[in-house]
Amino acid sequence: MNRRGFLKFAAGGTVGLVASPIIWNTLYDAVYWTQNWGWIPRIPRGDSTYIPTISKLCPSGTGIRVRLVDGQPVRALSDPGNPLSRGALTALAAVETQLMVSPARLKDPLRRTPDGALVAISWEEAETLLKEKLAEAKGSTACISGDPTSTINELLSSLVESRGSADFYFMPDDEQAALTAWDAMGGLGRLGYDVDNSDFILAIGANMLESWGTVARNRKSFSAKRPAGQDARMKFAYAGPVQNNTAAGADWWLPCRDGMEMELALGIAHLLIKTGHAVPSAGFDDFKAIVAEYTPEKVAELTGVDAARLTEVTRALAQAEKPLVLVGSSLGAGGGAGAVMAGIAVNMLLGRVGKEGGLVNLPFPSPVVAGASDYRAVRKRNLVAWSQSVASGEIKAPRVLLLYEANPLYALPFNSGMEEVFAKSGFKIAMASFLSESCAKCDLVLPAAMGLERFDDCYTPYGSGEVSWCISHPLVKPFYNSRPMGEVLIALAKELDVEVGVKDMPELLYKKAYSLGADFRKMVETGAVFQKKAGGAFSVPVYNAEAIKVALTLKKETTPLNLVPVVVLGMGTAQTGIPPFATKIIMEYQLAGHYSVAQMNAATADRLGVRKGSRVTVRRGEVKIPALVDIFEGVLPDAVALSAGLGHTAFDQFSRNKGSNIMTLTSITREPGTGLPVWSSAGVSVDKV
Amino acid sequence: MSEVIDFKIRWGMVIDLDKCTGCGACMVACQAENNLAPQVDASNKLRALNWLTVYRLSNGKPFPEHEVAYLPRPCMQCGKPSCVSVCPVVATDKREEGGIVSQIPPRCIGCRYCMASCPYHARYFNWYDPKWPGDLDRTLTPDVSTRPRGVVEKCSFCHHRWMHAKDAAILKGEDPMDLPDGAYVTACAEACPNGAITFGDLNNPKHKVHELKQSPHAFRLLERLGTDPQVYYMSKREWIRRQGDNYLEHEATGDNKKV
Repeated sequence: MNRRGFLKFAAGGTVGLVASPIIWNTLYDAVYWTQNWGWIPRIPRGDSTYIPTISKLCPSGTGIRVRLVDGQPVRALSDPGNPLSRGALTALAAVETQLMVSPARLKDPLRRTPDGALVAISWEEAETLLKEKLAEAKGSTACISGDPTSTINELLSSLVESRGSADFYFMPDDEQAALTAWDAMGGLGRLGYDVDNSDFILAIGANMLESWGTVARNRKSFSAKRPAGQDARMKFAYAGPVQNNTAAGADWWLPCRDGMEMELALGIAHLLIKTGHAVPSAGFDDFKAIVAEYTPEKVAELTGVDAARLTEVTRALAQAEKPLVLVGSSLGAGGGAGAVMAGIAVNMLLGRVGKEGGLVNLPFPSPVVAGASDYRAVRKRNLVAWSQSVASGEIKAPRVLLLYEANPLYALPFNSGMEEVFAKSGFKIAMASFLSESCAKCDLVLPAAMGLERFDDCYTPYGSGEVSWCISHPLVKPFYNSRPMGEVLIALAKELDVEVGVKDMPELLYKKAYSLGADFRKMVETGAVFQKKAGGAFSVPVYNAEAIKVALTLKKETTPLNLVPVVVLGMGTAQTGIPPFATKIIMEYQLAGHYSVAQMNAATADRLGVRKGSRVTVRRGEVKIPALVDIFEGVLPDAVALSAGLGHTAFDQFSRNKGSNIMTLTSITREPGTGLPVWSSAGVSVDKV
Repeated sequence: MSEVIDFKIRWGMVIDLDKCTGCGACMVACQAENNLAPQVDASNKLRALNWLTVYRLSNGKPFPEHEVAYLPRPCMQCGKPSCVSVCPVVATDKREEGGIVSQIPPRCIGCRYCMASCPYHARYFNWYDPKWPGDLDRTLTPDVSTRPRGVVEKCSFCHHRWMHAKDAAILKGEDPMDLPDGAYVTACAEACPNGAITFGDLNNPKHKVHELKQSPHAFRLLERLGTDPQVYYMSKREWIRRQGDNYLEHEATGDNKKV
């Protein structure tokens, strides 16, 4: 082509291009793709209905009012009509509807293939496999439940018992230590706390305004007795190693090293006895002899709590009309019974046991499923003691391990032996709503319908002050290919010829209602809650000085730096992972990018040669986790605070790659006397990177 | 629009900082109610989009004298909003009865002048396409339209709830301009388990906020800028009140003011 030809071609091409619709269409498309946002979802249209029920995700059984638009649940709102939570809503219960459709939700039954992948299978295949494996596993089945308030546990325990095994366990929580302590002090039932009627609460280690016990009720009580713009009708003190959310609401913060709750309680007992507060009971003299050496000065040295501040709070406690002392652990599990015993003893000194606004005795639930273990017997079994025995080879691993709404691989300390249990167990089955770390290691995963899609219940969560029973019933059909586990278990029992005495979940709950004297139909139709005042069989508790003395010999590990876990319910639980909307409530002092944030006070940071933003590793033994430093003066000296609930490796994009799991830094020891596995105190080092 | 209108109704909040424990339930409820998209990584707070943020406050003293508090910060719905006067396209305005500063995303051109002028950092820019992964869009509420990337958003005091409350009053034959206390509350106030947020008509003596805002412990953020916020805070602690504005050393707050 010559020059003239090229110019002709270029001119012709240009004219042709301009005359053609190509440019205009491209421009139009550019506008379409850059300015119009067709992929932004449209909002739904339809009538709204509001149905009262409960949140099964929130461990405290918070009452919620679900808003459905055209039959689709869109919001979990507070429910002022619920007599327990009375309109209080936790940050976790508030996302119940979002979690129903979260990316981590299990959609189909999954089966592990020989190459190690989990692949979707049909329910028929899954149920056949489930039946086959449980039929084979006679005499060697174990089950772990992560929902201690549900009557579905009775179905699980009945199935496990029918296999000739007694290995049905709850995930560890604070109730285990409380029950051991209450037993040791002569209590006959479950330990309850009448928070609503107390006028002075001292929470030792118990993060009661954020995660401990019946948190929604606790907070409603706190709110009602401290009305805005008026004088408080309830005083509140919190003893713990960090100014957490509970400390933010307290009149007094007693900075106490994590794991030293027992020593602090004994220090309070010392001051009370010294000032003439001593309601006598059996064993008082021996108890008095033990606490004699827990002077404020010694307690200050052991716990870090200033003697003058301890004296001031004890004086206020003694002057209150209806004081109540609560003891819990910062992680909500792993605390010793000794600390709870010491707390009960303080309540006894104040004459607050079996009284309005004090410690109360709650009856155990009676099983309604044929062949089920009773609640007390299950509570007496210890999961960690069992898993460690399996790991060490003392007892044989089960042929079938069944997980129900439990994530032990994430939630237990590294030396719990759970990894070995998983490695040694023959066939592992998970029944869960979300793909957790434990589900990811199972051979068969069954997608469980969630609280708004199934019949279930919540019986008197730990921390209650009265007997309560709430029902959740299906507001919608189960999403995806999930099924209500209660129904799956009843069908399985039938297949295995196990007599459970009920044909479906409504019948099971009806039987439960009948045993309690509740009106099942009314509860389902109106969301009513069954309540019954504490009482029943009760004996005068004793100062079990011997048990306290033995428990005191537990070696606490608080050096070189005391590890301080900070639990925030909004960041989800081990079963839920981090809910999608929770990433925005995780603050810069909890997570920075992919790093956990290690909070410490300026004096500690100076001593370690680090400052705000420094990259460090928090180390305990061989375990190291990376972190960024933040300076916060609300942490004890020589302590480092880290958020719990981070470091997930499963679930979805909202949970993964966010910080590190602090459970890897904790380890288990046994409490002398009670033999309880405890992990409430850990010493860590911080090394500058 | 920069003239100041005297509204018959002024919706407002009084937030008791002695009751807030920073759990974040208000932030979660706000996101769910107003169809804010979840963010996979929201650790960069400059790019995270919230209509309501909870800040942690410190009294600045070293351990053990240290104290902590939390401050939820919605849009202040200022009586004299600095954002309104700078908006070149009238995407934000304050002229509707009730005194809520409007924000109209389809009209917004994303210039962010309003963000620069807001002294409370209550406005947020949509840096990213909003995404509801998987089926999360099934939980969108029908009350608030979703917004695209490139526009500014802010708290609307759940304006749609006011619309619903007015409709409900009309259906009952009541005066929609004289709603009883509690007939209209925002999602955050409703969700707060500690009862730290009280919502109502600041002008109406029958509403609790009318009384609370007159407490000697009540204050407003950066009050001396003259923005006349409709959100009040209250605390019995002097150090918290002092963080509400730039006080000189000799100036006192609370019982001992006036400044």
